[in-house]
Amino acid sequence: MSENWVLKEDEAVELLALLITSARIQMEEPAQYGPLRLLTAAERLSGMMLERASEKSLAFLQENIERIPDMHMTMSDVEAYRAALDERCRAVAACLLRHSSLSEAAP
Amino acid sequence: MSEAVLDNIRTRRVVREMTDEPVERAQIEAILEAARWAPSGGNLRPNRYIVVEDAETRRLIRLVAPGMFQRAPVLILICTNGDVVAEHHLPPTDRALLIDIGTAAQTMMLAAHALGLASGPVTSYSKEAVKLILNLPDNYSPEMFICIGHKAETAQPGMRAWKKITWRDLTHWERFQSK
Repeated sequence: MSENWVLKEDEAVELLALLITSARIQMEEPAQYGPLRLLTAAERLSGMMLERASEKSLAFLQENIERIPDMHMTMSDVEAYRAALDERCRAVAACLLRHSSLSEAAP
Repeated sequence: MSEAVLDNIRTRRVVREMTDEPVERAQIEAILEAARWAPSGGNLRPNRYIVVEDAETRRLIRLVAPGMFQRAPVLILICTNGDVVAEHHLPPTDRALLIDIGTAAQTMMLAAHALGLASGPVTSYSKEAVKLILNLPDNYSPEMFICIGHKAETAQPGMRAWKKITWRDLTHWERFQSK
């Protein structure tokens, strides 16, 4: 586990603005925009964390910043979008493992 | 027939990555002047425009606009003036109001393209938050942002089409025919 502080208050407020306004506009937008908004939040959070994150997260955060904008452009290819989301899920699971005690037990 | 006009229509794209390079005031005014010539239902002219150049205001707008991927140097907000709507006894949901927003938006984006500028529309934002940030009166409804700027070299080619289409796929001659 890491206890690093990785967000400034201004950054956290910016992220809250994105999450709350996304929730509101999603009530009138197509359902497939839901993943888009969550990914945008993930990309922005990754950017905010980058400067102060530990080595355990750095590569994952950098990948989010590089890959998520490309994912937005492939929304119309549902299978490619699903595969890209699955790939990000595997990446976040790997990052979680690096932050957990399980990583110490790994061979 | 003006091939230049048709070419401008064909080559315009929605741009979501822009540089910090400022847009000249004369260019912004030319875009607003073009909007004045857009068709308007009943020639009622209910649209009003808010131009935002200030960096901090643009930053705040972007924070409450999840659909605004651009960091555009100029934002033009198309508003519907509720006083005009009331004066002509239109319901606030009248289709003509939406059509006016659309014609103004497309006219401005084509004008921007003709001036060598990039543009992109944004409707994914909190109206209430935008009204607060821009100090809009209650009778102004913020309907659509047009982001204006210079296209970044790194800009993506644009969202892939959901389905490849031509005008023929969208059109029926004289009477509807199943395809």
